[in-house]
Amino acid sequence: MGNYILELKDVVKTFGGVTALDGVHFHLKKGEIHALMGENGAGKSTFIKVITGVHQPDSGVMLIEGEEKSFRSTNESAKVGIAAIYQHVTSFPDLSVTENIFMGQEIKNKVGLYNWKLMTQKANELISSLSSEIDVSKPMGTLSVAKQQLVEIAKALSRDANILIMDEPTASLTRTECEQLYRITERLRDEGVSIIFITHKFEDMYRLATKVTVLRDAQYIGCWDVDKISNQKLIAEMVGRELSQMYPPKTAKPGDILLEVNHISKEGYFKNVSFDVRKGEIVALTGLVGAGRTEVVQSLFGIMRPDSGSIRLEGKEINVKSSMEALRHGIGLLPEDRQMEGLINELPIYQNVSSAAMYKFNKGALLQQEEEIKNAIALCQKIQLKAKDISMPPSSLSGGNQQKVVFAKLLSCDLKVLILDEPTKGIDVGAKYSIYEIMNELAERGYGIIMVSSEMPEVLGMADRIVVMRSGRVTAEFETTGTTQEMILEASLKQKEEERAS
Amino acid sequence: MNDKSKVAVRDLTVKDKFSFARFLVQWEMILIYILIAINVYLMVMRPGLYFAPGTIQSIIQSGMDLSPLVLGMIFVLMLGDIDVSVASIMILAAMATGLSMDAGIPVVPAVLLGIIVGALCGAFNGILVAYCSMPAVIVTISTQMLFRGIVQVILDVNVLSNFPTFYNALAWTNIAYVPISLLVFLALGVVFIIVLHKSAFGRKLYMIGNNPVATQYSGINVKAVKLQVFVIMGMMAGIASIFFVGRMGGGVSSTMGIGLELNAIAICVLGGISTNGGRGKAYGPIISTLIMAFLIYTLGLLNVEANSRVIMTGFILIIAVLIRNLNKEILAEIKLRLLYQSNKNIEALNNKTAENIGNLKVLIGETKKDGKLSTTDKAEKIKKYESQIVGLKEKCKQQTKAMKQQQK
Amino acid sequence: MTKEKTTFLSLLKRLPHMRNFGLIMAFIALLIVAAIITPAMYSWNSIINMLQNNAVFGLLSMGVMFVILTGGIDLSIASTLGLSGVITTSLMSENMNVPAIVWVLLGIGVGIFCGAFNGFLVGYLKMVPMIATLGTMYIFRGFAFLASGGDWWFPHQFSDGYVNMAIGRFLGIPNIIWFFVIILILSAIFLGYTAYGRRIYAVGTNKESARIAGIKQERIILLAFTLCGALSGLAGMLFTANYAICNHAIGTGFEMTAIAICILGGVSITGGRGKVDGVVIAFLMMSVITYFISLLPGLSVWQSAIQGGIIIIAVLINVFTIRSSEKRVLKERGALI
Repeated sequence: MGNYILELKDVVKTFGGVTALDGVHFHLKKGEIHALMGENGAGKSTFIKVITGVHQPDSGVMLIEGEEKSFRSTNESAKVGIAAIYQHVTSFPDLSVTENIFMGQEIKNKVGLYNWKLMTQKANELISSLSSEIDVSKPMGTLSVAKQQLVEIAKALSRDANILIMDEPTASLTRTECEQLYRITERLRDEGVSIIFITHKFEDMYRLATKVTVLRDAQYIGCWDVDKISNQKLIAEMVGRELSQMYPPKTAKPGDILLEVNHISKEGYFKNVSFDVRKGEIVALTGLVGAGRTEVVQSLFGIMRPDSGSIRLEGKEINVKSSMEALRHGIGLLPEDRQMEGLINELPIYQNVSSAAMYKFNKGALLQQEEEIKNAIALCQKIQLKAKDISMPPSSLSGGNQQKVVFAKLLSCDLKVLILDEPTKGIDVGAKYSIYEIMNELAERGYGIIMVSSEMPEVLGMADRIVVMRSGRVTAEFETTGTTQEMILEASLKQKEEERAS
Repeated sequence: MNDKSKVAVRDLTVKDKFSFARFLVQWEMILIYILIAINVYLMVMRPGLYFAPGTIQSIIQSGMDLSPLVLGMIFVLMLGDIDVSVASIMILAAMATGLSMDAGIPVVPAVLLGIIVGALCGAFNGILVAYCSMPAVIVTISTQMLFRGIVQVILDVNVLSNFPTFYNALAWTNIAYVPISLLVFLALGVVFIIVLHKSAFGRKLYMIGNNPVATQYSGINVKAVKLQVFVIMGMMAGIASIFFVGRMGGGVSSTMGIGLELNAIAICVLGGISTNGGRGKAYGPIISTLIMAFLIYTLGLLNVEANSRVIMTGFILIIAVLIRNLNKEILAEIKLRLLYQSNKNIEALNNKTAENIGNLKVLIGETKKDGKLSTTDKAEKIKKYESQIVGLKEKCKQQTKAMKQQQK
Repeated sequence: MTKEKTTFLSLLKRLPHMRNFGLIMAFIALLIVAAIITPAMYSWNSIINMLQNNAVFGLLSMGVMFVILTGGIDLSIASTLGLSGVITTSLMSENMNVPAIVWVLLGIGVGIFCGAFNGFLVGYLKMVPMIATLGTMYIFRGFAFLASGGDWWFPHQFSDGYVNMAIGRFLGIPNIIWFFVIILILSAIFLGYTAYGRRIYAVGTNKESARIAGIKQERIILLAFTLCGALSGLAGMLFTANYAICNHAIGTGFEMTAIAICILGGVSITGGRGKVDGVVIAFLMMSVITYFISLLPGLSVWQSAIQGGIIIIAVLINVFTIRSSEKRVLKERGALI
């Protein structure tokens, strides 16, 4: 067993009742690229944080080169040569690239003062082997995400890391940037660095990894050689059941056209986006992260304002300048980040539910709390919210139930169009199913639903029609019947091939 | 799990009934106890003075000069913002009234003009904060200088002394032994309580203070609400000028009321309003306005000089915040340092154990209520759970010990 | 790329993009206006006089800059100044023969104590900086009164050594200016070239990243407040020495001016951004304005109105340059779509 540089056995980690890791095993050989895969919320991010010492496991063993270790902080893990590049780059945006690279291990002269000259020189050396376009004296915040990632890699290299953990590094990169990252990753492997590559793109895994470990719902599913497992089997392992069982049967029949989006553009975000939604129809807006999907739906909801183009609701052109107007027209948005954008965690559930339609409960100058509570209870019972009572704060609920509170908030308005931005993000499988049920029921009641989602099985399982975006443009539109994951993937990558060719 | 007919409709009604015990220990009640304690102290130590006619009234009157500022500040702090320009606005408003009285404008329009000037100043702050996204501290620090600067430019070293006579009456006289200023303050206070706790506008303030982004996604015009709050604050500063000028005996000079804004903020914080926004009730600051009046008077009786009484103000501010700040996070941090020797592994282990024990206790509670089980079954089940708890505790203790030794 | 030669032309091209460019331009404009209206300002003596009387603000703004860089604010600096001034003056008046350097160290010591108290409240007890220092502002001022016993001190009660710490001259320049210059250089080195100095920026720019990088935030915040207190304490001693006058109320309201100088000098109130040079330029500018106004008959009353107005305009310009640069980035990105 001595040939493993990193070994984890039976690691368990819980956060106040939510199990994030439940008996996870992991083996990493020296000089190997090992892919770690799983759906959102499978526990991948927690897993890295346990390895790097940000979190401490409740139980389980970690061995580094056969020796048992437990880290109390990132400093300790860094000392044995573990470096991590997190999904959300954790840099100091106001400080220079040089300083970001050397943070915590600065080069000093004899008097104990920083030797900026030498640091800049070394930073240049490190960076120039990765990219020729980064000015090390510029603040980190001025670089693109891809370049910031390269800086993070340079930082890891400067620390002589022998275990490098990369958390979904390709999630928001363009094709060319991905290629560049692949080459750098391979070079590091050849230099003897062991790499854990976390991803949910199969492409990354096939291109780089020799081994793959799959996590699902915080549990260890298995570890395979990449060339010995089929795509189908891997998906089944990640998702945990056959696709057809994951989604409730559809009952709604699409009716008349409800919302038309005609050629809307917003500089820097998207261009010429058109699609329509019918009554009782679920339209999925999909594509890679950063394709501009969220910005499109935010424009429909008045958070952003498109520069040009028009939006027609039931045949009438509408001009949505703010979220207030959007709700008045009957367009509601379930935002992507429910903690930051959806909920007010300090206020009771019923106040959250009524917050978008307070005018309904005004009598004279006063709010009628009894009415609010009654209304909220009725709505929440309908969508089977699991809570102690309606006056609890949403923070006391599980992710799925929090999402239901946001649903109830939208349902308390008189809406026609529901926009759901990643409605099942970070929600466990069981709760997902009940969110899907709610969606189907709403479609049946005549709502037009736009669902933004990056999870292809979800898109294929729930939508009537699929609109694919790539780099701010719509690249394809499919009827769901007869569409495959490959077709969607192709459309979401399509133009990148052209870009490469040019 | 997909069979809907089997899922019973959940009871979501509010189960927390009014608890008298909890009512008695809430912050606002503690403030009332403090107020009573100060009164009792005065009563016992200086009965002659305390029961002398007019004493209590004059104590209360002395604390009313900034009371409208306190009310306005509640709203501003509720948003998570701050306004340190209020004392300057107040003097500017007073000057507007005084100058128009000098110019022969009748009383009512002159007073209204003062309040309108206050509102305009507030609007200026509000536009900069809400629509130019500048931090409220910076904006109001500069407008504090700006507004007072305008007063200095116009008044220079002159004193305005032509003010409506009701200013003095408001500040110094009583109706049926109750100071008029207190009555007006309480009447205003009731309006603020109703707006904050019973109206949609008040709800919006709580929402913005806790999460402005989510508030925007709920279709609320956050910027407009912010602007409105700063305008209200300005108007209250205008109204405060009436109280203040009355207390000052009807004279206004450019250096008056410096530092009053900080007193108003201190009273709000003592009253339980969080400066991070979104927490607190309007009752608190109203009570703490009175506490401050009595406290300052009592300290005066104890021969504590006016200038060193401010030490009390400072400590009250800090202690009030510290008590309310003492949340789970800080307790956990202290526990980590003292109990677990800064070892996060031990902390994780203990937390996990505590949680498991908690879960078991819940199970015990559920078993006790379970009507379907016979009493012997119940007892047996409970016993099983309890032995599990003991086991967990023992295991945790041993592991903690081992870890601590390992660390050494 | 970084080895590109800095020719005069490239320097000229880069000039308008430099952070302090606008500030320097405004400063130059101000100097020209002042030169036309009040040429008397440009004598050696006037300039020395101006700097001498404003050096205290320089020290205070340097100190509060450390705190603002961590994302905090310190409203208690003027009270610290008062407390330190009263303590050193009162002890000095009874011990005239003690060497004056002792009083300098005592002043700094008092300041360190005050600053550390603030730092403890903010760093370890997690109080909001604004509220914690609002409280200590009262407390320190109250203690200043207690220490003074309500007394005033006048020039005849000051020892020569004490007064010379501020107004004595070295190479023709008053010592108080030397103090300021030395502090300035030390601050620049500290913030630019030492681990603790850079950690102050790191904590201010992103607390979460700082945590992951293993930086002990509590300690950095404590340090920033302590340094701020130390400089305020020093300022208190020098202030009393400069004017040879002291009571418990000295320096009331100075905190606002000091914070204003920092903001004008480009220190971001949310932390992490700001440099010594910007603050120095802003300090010079404020000094010139104050002095310029005081020379114009009948205009001295305009001082605080003008100062307030300047800060608002400075921050507004800042807000709009950020907005326009965001727009430019979007436009660049838009070209790729």
